[in-house]
Amino acid sequence: MEEIRIVNISKDFDGFMAVDGVDLTIKPGELFSFLGPSGCGKTTLLRMIAGFEMPLKGKIFIGDQDIVDLPPYKRPVNTIFQNYSLFPHMTVWDNVAFGLKVRKTPLPEIKDRVSEMLDLVKMGDQHSKYPDQISGGQKQRVAIARALINNPKVLLLDEPLAALDLKLRQHMLIELMNIHDAVGITFIYVTHDQSEAMSISDRVAVMNRGKIVQEGPPDDIYERPSSIFSAYFIGETNLITGEVIGIEDEYVQLKCPMGDDEYFEIDSTFHFRPEIGSQITVSLRPEKIAISSNKPKIADDMNIVKGVIEDILYLGSHTQYIVRVGKHNIRVFSQHKRVYFDDKALDWEEEVWLFWHDTDSWLINELPDESRMPAEGKTYIPKFKKANASAGEQI
Amino acid sequence: MKSNSKSSRLDYLLAAPTLIWLTVFFLVPYFIVLIYGFLTPDIFDVKFEFNLDAYRQLFDGTYFRPFVLSVKLAITTTLLCILIAYPVAYLIARASDKIKNTLLILIIIPFWTNLIIRIFSWRIFLSYNGVLNDILMRIGLISQPLEIMRTDLAVIMVMVYVYLPYMILPLYSVLEKLDFTLLHAAMDLGANEVKSFFKITLPLSLEGIFAGVLLVFIPALGTYLIPQLVGDQRSLYVGQVITYKIKNIPRNWPMASALSFGLLILVAIFLLLGYILLKKSKVRGVA
Repeated sequence: MEEIRIVNISKDFDGFMAVDGVDLTIKPGELFSFLGPSGCGKTTLLRMIAGFEMPLKGKIFIGDQDIVDLPPYKRPVNTIFQNYSLFPHMTVWDNVAFGLKVRKTPLPEIKDRVSEMLDLVKMGDQHSKYPDQISGGQKQRVAIARALINNPKVLLLDEPLAALDLKLRQHMLIELMNIHDAVGITFIYVTHDQSEAMSISDRVAVMNRGKIVQEGPPDDIYERPSSIFSAYFIGETNLITGEVIGIEDEYVQLKCPMGDDEYFEIDSTFHFRPEIGSQITVSLRPEKIAISSNKPKIADDMNIVKGVIEDILYLGSHTQYIVRVGKHNIRVFSQHKRVYFDDKALDWEEEVWLFWHDTDSWLINELPDESRMPAEGKTYIPKFKKANASAGEQI
Repeated sequence: MKSNSKSSRLDYLLAAPTLIWLTVFFLVPYFIVLIYGFLTPDIFDVKFEFNLDAYRQLFDGTYFRPFVLSVKLAITTTLLCILIAYPVAYLIARASDKIKNTLLILIIIPFWTNLIIRIFSWRIFLSYNGVLNDILMRIGLISQPLEIMRTDLAVIMVMVYVYLPYMILPLYSVLEKLDFTLLHAAMDLGANEVKSFFKITLPLSLEGIFAGVLLVFIPALGTYLIPQLVGDQRSLYVGQVITYKIKNIPRNWPMASALSFGLLILVAIFLLLGYILLKKSKVRGVA
């Protein structure tokens, strides 16, 4: 088992930097995801590992070997293509056997390996069918078998589930994890779907504009986003800007404008030391906020703000409330659990209290900027005035 | 169901003009040709007396040579067209949209000029004192003009020139639809460029080759004009023989009819062979 080392790799298309100086090390046997919106460079990066794109500069090592100058057919990697790219004129069996046949493997061995692989992906009884006679999920399995039969050191998966419907996608995701466990090789998984990346990956690299924005285990990126982009791209969040007015041992105090010269305060634990008086952003995940129409008794390490329910979206497993707090629209997810005795149904335009633990507010040393927001994947963007404008009002 | 049968009745109605046209001007003449083959020749016309001479001669070897020549010419032309057209069609299919359209127009432009005029320009090009010999002598490749006109080589050159677009266009249309990520997949699985071509591109473009072969081989088999204008008049092709049977006096309509029918049967046999080959190769649709 060898690690993959990507060293300062760049790729341009007519002057547009699709991948811009990426450095990355992927551990042996890891299931690693490149996650980002379309055009972020994740697929280009994958295609450079596969050998379909020539980097502008940089090196890609598998173990000690730099593979950049090798043609695709000499690299110890195999790819699952987005639309599977099964050969339409060959049966399932011939598709899977392809890699061994071109390497002139003896026929008895091919037969053994193909049936072994088809069993692994549960397609043993479909071997004589043609690709246009099997379903999307089955094509996916054949594509996996066709790639894995070559014993690659790395399996590259380019949005492999994009063409499947939701239920099948969830099912194949689990199956992919099982296959990863069974074969034990490194998987590199490209997706724009954050939930896919979160559920399947050991580690994730969040990409934007050809660069890696953040890299780490999914929970780390979700709980501790290093930038507004990753906070926003992974999961949903509320971004609130404010001025740092105090720093204690355990927490910082922020003064957040609500408009009309009114302010509310947020306490937050901190992982870097902001300067007093500086403008800063708090990322607050909607599910971390509790909502109640009665003012709760709260401890010292809790934040509380008052707002008015603007909108209620019933989403089955939970309800999303959009609560107006001054100029902010704060989203709150509330699960349908009746554990509080004073629980009653909340209504539009009702005054409510929002409260959360200090440690659930996460500081990001950036100000929200529309142009830095992810281009796709989110339908609702909270209404922010320009960060500069609000700063100007305040000073 | 009712509306269904109504619409199918409408379909027939819409197809009727074409069906009538084909019956009257295609099927009926063929039937006349078939009957003429069994009549007795006269100086200008035919006598309506049953006579098997024409078909006897068709099969007794008298006309073996023109048939062999025609088949050889058709096969050579078709093969050369495939070899030349394939890379051209491939390049056009992979070119950017703008260049693609320009190249396609360039392929089609020759159709705007009458075939006979194009063949005559080839005569000027190939003749003893023609452009080709002039160029070759000027650059010093030859010291004496070559006798290219009125040879089998001239026939093949002009045949390939005339029929090439009929091979390029169907090939282009399959190659254009070909999913080139399949080639990436093949390379990804360890096949180099050559292997990917023979295992993926070629099998998936067989239908285009088959269509091109139909468009080239069949007309090439019955070709008359090109060997007549640039060919060696000592080696006659079936098309020429048929024409002479009608043109030269005493005319022999029954023999011309029998030869035409022989040609038709030959085409049918080759078509069937090609169809069986295509089926056997188990090639499925590209999409």
